[in-house]
Amino acid sequence: MADGGSWRPPRSCEDYWWEWKHCRGLRHAFHHYYTHGEMPACGRWREDYEACRAWERDHATAAQEALCKSERARVMEKQKYAPVWKLRKSPPPDWYLPLNEDKSN
Amino acid sequence: MDGAEAAAPAAEGKAGEEEEDDLGYRLFPDRNKKPQSFLVRSLFTFHNKCQLMLRMTLDTNPYAQLLLEAMKQSGCTVFNDRHFSCENCDGCVSGGFDSATSQIVLCQNNIRQQSHMNRVVTHELIHAFDHCRAHVDWFKNVKHLACSEIRAANLSGDCTLMNEIARFKFGLKGHHQTCVRDRAIRSILAVRKVSKETAEKAVDEVFDACFNDLEPFGRIPHSKTDAKRAYRDFQNRDRYNANL
Repeated sequence: MADGGSWRPPRSCEDYWWEWKHCRGLRHAFHHYYTHGEMPACGRWREDYEACRAWERDHATAAQEALCKSERARVMEKQKYAPVWKLRKSPPPDWYLPLNEDKSN
Repeated sequence: MDGAEAAAPAAEGKAGEEEEDDLGYRLFPDRNKKPQSFLVRSLFTFHNKCQLMLRMTLDTNPYAQLLLEAMKQSGCTVFNDRHFSCENCDGCVSGGFDSATSQIVLCQNNIRQQSHMNRVVTHELIHAFDHCRAHVDWFKNVKHLACSEIRAANLSGDCTLMNEIARFKFGLKGHHQTCVRDRAIRSILAVRKVSKETAEKAVDEVFDACFNDLEPFGRIPHSKTDAKRAYRDFQNRDRYNANL
């Protein structure tokens, strides 16, 4: 987490609001059911939005911690599974190589 | 050829002449031929239409724009004339990614609508993105191939309800995952000489990890709105990571 003095919420409060509204919409509910076989849970976005606004109002430490904890949990959920492949440290060396004029092998 | 998008999935891989059949190059007969003359290409093929639709996709489609930006950040800037190729392909194939030449092949004779072009370009860019960011063993590791196919089917819009209905595949609850699994298996079988059981086993083993690997979108984009939102989040990722 960044130094308390320069910290700000990972997303803007408008983004949390948008995510919450979007999550509650009919279209998203349909897509979520089609993808995961269950209805979405949207309460967390609402809590994050409230925490964001609370921080904007009072710079409350509790709000900051709650928000950080929630976002870190989201990141951890994405890292639940071991990766299938090894990530590169640099791009493939032949990405920019010119194509052969003569296409035959 | 690697990871192809097709009614029957396209093939992937590059090898010597005698091994071409094993790696799917039979579906892309123009890959190793001399290019046609400008006049023949313009008058007798859909080459120009393909180029125009591709330009439209790259300029306006949020899925493609996010992938292009993500690849640029990973060190693989995509150049239209170097990394895309409009060619004639076998009857059922829509496109493919040739990892040997770092090119995305678009089947100009099989892509007739802009929406289809959008989807094929997104699908193949996901393969290119995986090639760029990870050591993907396209030719020898079926699980790697399976993983990229799962991701491409999941994130490109291949498995929307409307697309499935158009294929006469009907289902609702969790059907997206069924579709992703089935299309990944079909893709593997088209490009590799492996048994159906091997393909199914590979897909099943990596499904959870790869279905939940949503890079660079961060979410499964079900619409252009979702894709635009994902693009926005991608552009704000520095702020996000710095304030966790």
